[in-house]
Amino acid sequence: MAEVKVKKETNLSDPVEVENRIKELCQQFPHGITDQVIQNDMPHLEPQQRAMAINKLLSLGQLDLLRNSAGLLYRLKDSQSTSKMKGSDNQEKLVYQIIEDAGNKGIWSRDIRFKSNLPLTEINKILKNLESKKLIKAVKSVAASKKKVYMLYNLQPDRSVTGGAWYSDQDFESEFVEVLNQQCFKFLQSKAEAARDSKQSPMVQRNSSFATSHEVWKYICELGISKVDLSMDDIETILNTLIYDGKVEMTVIAAKEGTVGSVDGQMKLYRGVNTIIQPTGLVKTPCGLCPVFDDCHEGGEISPSNCIYMSEWLDF
Amino acid sequence: MTAQEVRLCGLLLREHFGEVVEKVGTHLLKCGAQNLRTIIHETGLSVDLVKKSLCVLVQHGASTFSSGRKGPGSPTEYHASCDRILRILRYPRYIYTAKTLYGDTGELIIEELLQRGHTTMSSTVKTVADRLTQNMAEGLTMDYSEVSSTFSKLVETHFLQRCPPLPRVGNKDSSAPSETPAAPGTPAAPVNTAPPTPESFPECYKVPSVTLIGRGKRQLASEDGEEQRSAKRAKMDPETHGDEGIYWQVNFERFHLHFRDQTIISAVANKLDQTSSEIVRTMLRMSEVTTSPMATCTKPLSANEIFRSLPPSYNILRPILDQYLTLLVDDPMEFVGKAGESGGGMFVVNLHRALANLARATLESVVQERFGSRSARIFRLLLRKRHLEQKQVEDFAMIPAKEAKDMLYTLLSQNLVQLQEIPKTPDYAPSRTFYLYTVNQLPTARMLLQSCYKTVANLVERRLFETKESKRLLEKSQRIEAILASLQVSGAEPEQLTEVEEMITAPEKQQLDTLRLHINKLDSAENQVDETIFLLESYINSTNASS
Repeated sequence: MAEVKVKKETNLSDPVEVENRIKELCQQFPHGITDQVIQNDMPHLEPQQRAMAINKLLSLGQLDLLRNSAGLLYRLKDSQSTSKMKGSDNQEKLVYQIIEDAGNKGIWSRDIRFKSNLPLTEINKILKNLESKKLIKAVKSVAASKKKVYMLYNLQPDRSVTGGAWYSDQDFESEFVEVLNQQCFKFLQSKAEAARDSKQSPMVQRNSSFATSHEVWKYICELGISKVDLSMDDIETILNTLIYDGKVEMTVIAAKEGTVGSVDGQMKLYRGVNTIIQPTGLVKTPCGLCPVFDDCHEGGEISPSNCIYMSEWLDF
Repeated sequence: MTAQEVRLCGLLLREHFGEVVEKVGTHLLKCGAQNLRTIIHETGLSVDLVKKSLCVLVQHGASTFSSGRKGPGSPTEYHASCDRILRILRYPRYIYTAKTLYGDTGELIIEELLQRGHTTMSSTVKTVADRLTQNMAEGLTMDYSEVSSTFSKLVETHFLQRCPPLPRVGNKDSSAPSETPAAPGTPAAPVNTAPPTPESFPECYKVPSVTLIGRGKRQLASEDGEEQRSAKRAKMDPETHGDEGIYWQVNFERFHLHFRDQTIISAVANKLDQTSSEIVRTMLRMSEVTTSPMATCTKPLSANEIFRSLPPSYNILRPILDQYLTLLVDDPMEFVGKAGESGGGMFVVNLHRALANLARATLESVVQERFGSRSARIFRLLLRKRHLEQKQVEDFAMIPAKEAKDMLYTLLSQNLVQLQEIPKTPDYAPSRTFYLYTVNQLPTARMLLQSCYKTVANLVERRLFETKESKRLLEKSQRIEAILASLQVSGAEPEQLTEVEEMITAPEKQQLDTLRLHINKLDSAENQVDETIFLLESYINSTNASS
């Protein structure tokens, strides 16, 4: 009891005491405290003194100022991050904060300028500074190759920036995609042929020629041709390109939740198919593939009578 | 009647009927329906020539006449039909189909009818019997009754039909155009403006009772020259056989339905397997005469009926048949659909959808051959997903951005892909509009059809050019062949024959061989492009019918 009394008698108008008290309150409420909370705790404190204490803590970088719908919030900052910013001035801290908020998507230098209202030259200087301190890094966006986004040094860039599994160092890996494409197709084709040769009833034949996306994914992972880990979604995008090539068709069936590979109660099945017609008659003639087809007419420079493509084709 | 179509019709008319007919025909195609005086005036030909050309055109059904625009009493107007002239391209296919279905007899009957346009049954039977007898071994002749029975079979399956009798004026006896030149200037009776279709007459497919007893006559060698000369001129046959005035023509629509069925069956065989295609073939055969040409799908057939009508060589069990039918129905191409549950399941063949799928496959194959498989991937992607932005195209097709952009622009410049602008602001500012790529199947099919017509015209012209280049050589070889033939008939010695043969030098022979090779290649290419034309035309007509 006596200790409590002792505490109460402490002179709370001492600025350091005020600051410490505020810090303790922040620790109590890790999500942040409003002005109201501080006032409730130290009702005798003058608003001026309170404001001075809060400003001191902010400038020391020990408190974070946030705004929410109710008003201003004060939050205790990590001691680790506070140590980083020692020696930086306010502007840098502001810029750093903006970049941190952008998370792993990164933020473009023009957006930083908008958010902080600082002139371009200042921003560039600060960014160079921070980069040399190894606090932030620049990542080239895959969408626009000239654009550089900044994010915190230790963060992994998001997929939308790097392009995910198909991009390595901002280059679209078309050979990798091609290889995967062919491997998936071969797998589905061999499955279809095995089903056809099995000579069972047609229903069974057709069902055994199907492969779920999960099976294809497992096959590709076991093949080990990919350096990066591919998810089932990645494999599904590859299989979609096969559909657009006209080599594969897809159906969706309902599946129990527990079965392997089912997403939201349904599974996608793929199977290899043949085209329904042979290459059409028009493309078997030179005119069907002629690059100057529109310029060709009788009596002109390019005409059927003196067509070199036709002469070559006839002598073939 | 596009420029390309008119050009192709002109070339076909020139090849088959000569330059005069070509001139009259193209004039009619370009200028619409005209009366005799105007034609004579504008083409600058003599009255006689124009009349004869019109006769030829009417005889082959390429031209029809009707009373003038100003009402009955004004001079008759002649109207050329572009479609009918383009059918000339397809004659080899018709003859080949008749051969596969009805053997040599059928082939010759169809060939005769295609050559003559409209003929009576008796004259056809006689000519065909004579030709068959020609090729048979010594001492054998072809009986007329055999040829008549094949003729009747052709009529029963609707491959041949009667020409519609033309309206009479007064007490005219002969109504239908006969083989002798008739005076085309006679005005027709007041008729309704639309020409009657052959099928609107109830006796369209009725075989007349014809008394035809006899056998084919074998021609002797000495009669050869005379026969050739009189082949063009109408044979004035003194015998009558009871079918005067009844003229027959080839029913092209029926052949087209047959071709369409064949294409669907082969597509099913490619996509699924042989047994499924046999089932579809049975279904189509059963609906041959019950389905109208413009129908969207065949009449529903129950699984029981299909099971009974399957060819006996395919003895599959009933449950297996049911499985096959289910698989056909489930297939994404939707060739076969289920129309009900009675009788073990009622199934239809979706004709229009099958045609649309086939046309789409044709478009895709053209893009693939012309621009490569990646462009084909983009094309198929746009066909499936309708409208896409450029970024989305790159993502879905998994093609690097630069290449995808290049391919899209190439396709756009060739008009195979269209751009749809969706503005965000009313001022259509480029930075604030969405640009979506899209493919419209029907207009693209029409555009490709026109390219096909141009291609065929190019091939025909090239063939004529090649023939013209080597005209001198061809004439020389013809003369030498004639000399050889006459020497052989008159019993010459081998030395004389070899001497004549050596008049053609070796390089000339080689040149002749290459020329023959070229002409054959161009001919077969024309037939192949005609297959594409048929597919695209059927698709476009099917969309016309349903819309």
